[in-house]
Amino acid sequence: MSKPAKASQPFKISAKSPLKIALVEDQPKVRDNWSQLINSFPDLSCVCICKTGEEALRLIPEVKPDAVLMDIFLPRMSGIECTSRLKALVPEVRIIILTAMNDEELVFMALEAGADGYLLKRTKPADLRAALLDVLNGGAPMTSEIARRVVESFRLKAKTRDESLRLSAREEQILLLLAKGQSNKTIADNLEISVDTVCHHLKHVFEKMHVSSRTEAVVRYMASKTPATS
Amino acid sequence: MQTRRHFTRRRTSHFFSLKQTGRKCPTAFLKMTRAVAATFALFFSLATVWSQSAPVLPAPPGMFKNTNVDDPAEPVKDSLTERGSHNFSDMGAWIWETNTFDRQTVRFWKSFEIPDDTTVTRARLRITADNEYILYLDGRELGRDAEWRHLYEYDITDLLSPGNHVLAVEVYNSSREAGFMFGLRVGLSSGKTLAVKSDTSWLIVPADVSGWEKKTEPADSWRPATFESAFGSGPWGTMDYIDLVPPLEPLNIPFWQTGWFEVALVSICVFVSMFSLILASQVLLHRKEKFLLHQERARIARDIHDDLGTRVTQLVLQGEVAQSELPSGSRTRGQLERISEEAREALRAMDEILWAINPRRDTLHEFATFVCGHAQTFLKATPIQCVLDVEPAMSTIAFDLPFRRSLLLAVKEALNNAAKHSGATELQLQIRRQGDGLTVVVQDNGRGFDPAQAKSERNGLANMNQRLNEVGGKCILSSQPGNGCRVEFYIPFTQMRRRPWWSNWYFGGRLTKMPPAPDAGKK
Repeated sequence: MSKPAKASQPFKISAKSPLKIALVEDQPKVRDNWSQLINSFPDLSCVCICKTGEEALRLIPEVKPDAVLMDIFLPRMSGIECTSRLKALVPEVRIIILTAMNDEELVFMALEAGADGYLLKRTKPADLRAALLDVLNGGAPMTSEIARRVVESFRLKAKTRDESLRLSAREEQILLLLAKGQSNKTIADNLEISVDTVCHHLKHVFEKMHVSSRTEAVVRYMASKTPATS
Repeated sequence: MQTRRHFTRRRTSHFFSLKQTGRKCPTAFLKMTRAVAATFALFFSLATVWSQSAPVLPAPPGMFKNTNVDDPAEPVKDSLTERGSHNFSDMGAWIWETNTFDRQTVRFWKSFEIPDDTTVTRARLRITADNEYILYLDGRELGRDAEWRHLYEYDITDLLSPGNHVLAVEVYNSSREAGFMFGLRVGLSSGKTLAVKSDTSWLIVPADVSGWEKKTEPADSWRPATFESAFGSGPWGTMDYIDLVPPLEPLNIPFWQTGWFEVALVSICVFVSMFSLILASQVLLHRKEKFLLHQERARIARDIHDDLGTRVTQLVLQGEVAQSELPSGSRTRGQLERISEEAREALRAMDEILWAINPRRDTLHEFATFVCGHAQTFLKATPIQCVLDVEPAMSTIAFDLPFRRSLLLAVKEALNNAAKHSGATELQLQIRRQGDGLTVVVQDNGRGFDPAQAKSERNGLANMNQRLNEVGGKCILSSQPGNGCRVEFYIPFTQMRRRPWWSNWYFGGRLTKMPPAPDAGKK
């Protein structure tokens, strides 16, 4: 598990050291446009461009960017698989899944694999920047559908996992309210807590989800590597 | 091949005698003979096949065995003295073909006529041959045997009716002398007697004529038989024994053995099996069609996603890049922004289309997910707070395209109305199963209206009703001025459940014309 100190601290953007962004995208035009859009913000810089998941696994651990924008459909190794492997290699990197179409099933799979957030490719550049900063601050987007799925998946895993990977009562409460379509603010009002606390709880949910998926991913990754090397 | 036998021999000791049955109902026999003849003529080819496959028929006796099938070792024999019938005056002469050689088969043919105005009181037929014979009357075999020292006597009283008759005898000579002798004495009700004897008026049928025993007219090429020797003279001498062939009587064919019945049965079987085959193939076709439809939908979804989606996304990005390169406030930049926004709208529309046509989304769960997502995104731009109330366990229930599409459009209409007219601060979207149907409730806390007055001006309400009617559901709207508005959509599951596969075929277009019936069966 990565250091909670860094994760809990809000991410400060300084003009001197722009955020390092890596891009994994197989289509050349989309790749060029995205890197151009990212570089058009003074506080963001595209430091690494990968064409395939395999290339990402090779380059990103060395470059150590702050965030990775990962296309969900990649040739051979999918973005979801790449995410889970990358998280196993570099747990502290933030991965944001890019999808062309809104498909919450895929998004949930990506989140389970360790992604920290997702963006539609058609997102406006300004929104992109805001979403990036959100994710880096631990505030992953949580739609009602995703919240419902998260609750379901934790309920399924509850019997086989140790206590630390279960949702607390409060976390589940918040998720269920999210599933009902309530916004973070309404939830905070209802539960008489601050919006920050709600976000904090949600961040914990994501961490638990990632940890559980990460251990799985490591096991899977090791299992897939062993026969090839021996 | 053995033709089917319509007559059988019965031993007098086992069954009632010919006199009892034969005299009783001569007309019945007449009718039956005709009916059987007609059947035979029509279904001769079928019958020949059946005789091999139908175990209900008695197996024909072996070739040239003694006619007493039941007890071949002890033929029914009467000495001439016991029979008291020394009268051979009705016997003909021994006849044969001009040439005689070993292993020779000769076919004798003779027709005779029984006058129309009489009935047959008694018909006795005596026959023998050196070495083997098969006797046919009117094309049907009466019997066969192979002992020239015996005379075989047949009682064919029941088989003769007024009219023309054909006698046909196939004789086989195994070696040396050959001959065939025949005598038929028919007593008529007029008191007269008719005699048919073997003589040179018999014709010899060439070997290449097929179906010769059934021919009623001789051909020109048939030559007359040759006289060999008179009865009692020649190498054969007189007969010591007469083998009484048990009386021949019309076989009372039970109805299930009659040709018509069997034809009917076979046709019914054929019809039923063909019918089931057709139905089975329809089921297969239906499944295949459904499968293909799903595949095709999946393919279209994939194409839209992979090709169109990617390209329009690219368009959005290109537009954004172009904008970023222009100074803010420039006119072109605004235009580019509008282009990008249009393209985004197109992608949103595409999302919805993809959702609709993707067969993987054909479940209630997917429907609920999509409707909730849509409601949230849609209401985000309005001051209305969206509250969802979705039943958790509705994942696996199938919810086919026409239903979810109609329901989605109706819900969108309701959301639209709420956003435009209600002025509400909160909207509740409730999706749950109720009884045997699915209910979707859209309820706002807005200013409400009087449904009676509003109906005419709000086209959306009629639209919602129509959409639900199309799939056999209903739409209930309740609102009071100042008290919010509640729209309830209900679709019974019975409408969703596919009708049994045959009902579409059976009811055809009838159901589809009835207003409440949806086009569910076609899907």
